Amino acid sequence: MTTKTFRGNFKNLAPISDFIISQVENAGFTANEIYAIQTAVDEACANIIDHAYGGEDIGDIKIDVKKTKTGIQITLIDSGKPFNPNEVPEPDIRSPLEIRKERGLGVFFMRKLMDNVRFEFSKNEGNILTLEKYRGS
Amino acid sequence: MEFSITEYTHCDLIDISGRIDSYTSPKIAEVLKTLLADGHTNIVIDMKLVTYLSSSGMLVFVNAQKQRTRQDRGEIVFSNIPDCVLSSFKLAGFDQLFKFFDDVVSAVGRF
Repeated sequence: MTTKTFRGNFKNLAPISDFIISQVENAGFTANEIYAIQTAVDEACANIIDHAYGGEDIGDIKIDVKKTKTGIQITLIDSGKPFNPNEVPEPDIRSPLEIRKERGLGVFFMRKLMDNVRFEFSKNEGNILTLEKYRGS
Repeated sequence: MEFSITEYTHCDLIDISGRIDSYTSPKIAEVLKTLLADGHTNIVIDMKLVTYLSSSGMLVFVNAQKQRTRQDRGEIVFSNIPDCVLSSFKLAGFDQLFKFFDDVVSAVGRF
């Protein structure tokens, strides 16, 4: 398992992506799968900054990357207020584009692109979001 | 993320390179807002060198296109969009809002 901690600000989204790519690029994923993982983590971190911390430079995002037999498990931990992405309603992508509400698109991407999105809140650690992606999924 | 703007007779071309995420998308929003406010409503966005587009970046383009549609003037189109970025547009269903051209010449020629 590799762990890295980043300050929760938007400027760090690029280094976070670089870190994730470096962890998954030799793990047997296709280029599209790597892009999907990059997107899910980026959206998750942007949501942590926006919603859990409510702004930049309030707290850290700790990222654990664990290679599993079937793929990859990425855990994001923040000490912000409880924010469960699974409670964010999905945007209705069938509604007319002109009137569609766009909130929740990042969470929608996370759910669509990953095989498993699990949320826990721990009084000691805070928000624990686990994202899993299987090879060939 | 870097960008440059080239003014043509009938449209403006924005070349973007690098990542369009929550950190960089406000800059693109500002550029589009300024162009639209100045009446430059025919816009080609070349995505050839874009390595990543987040939902926040996508919504910048979607909102600009919607604003332009409300004003009933011009159009925002893309050229050279990487496959992975196009997949994100399709996943969100926003590919229907835009025309995608294989290269800059055909996109600029659209206007």
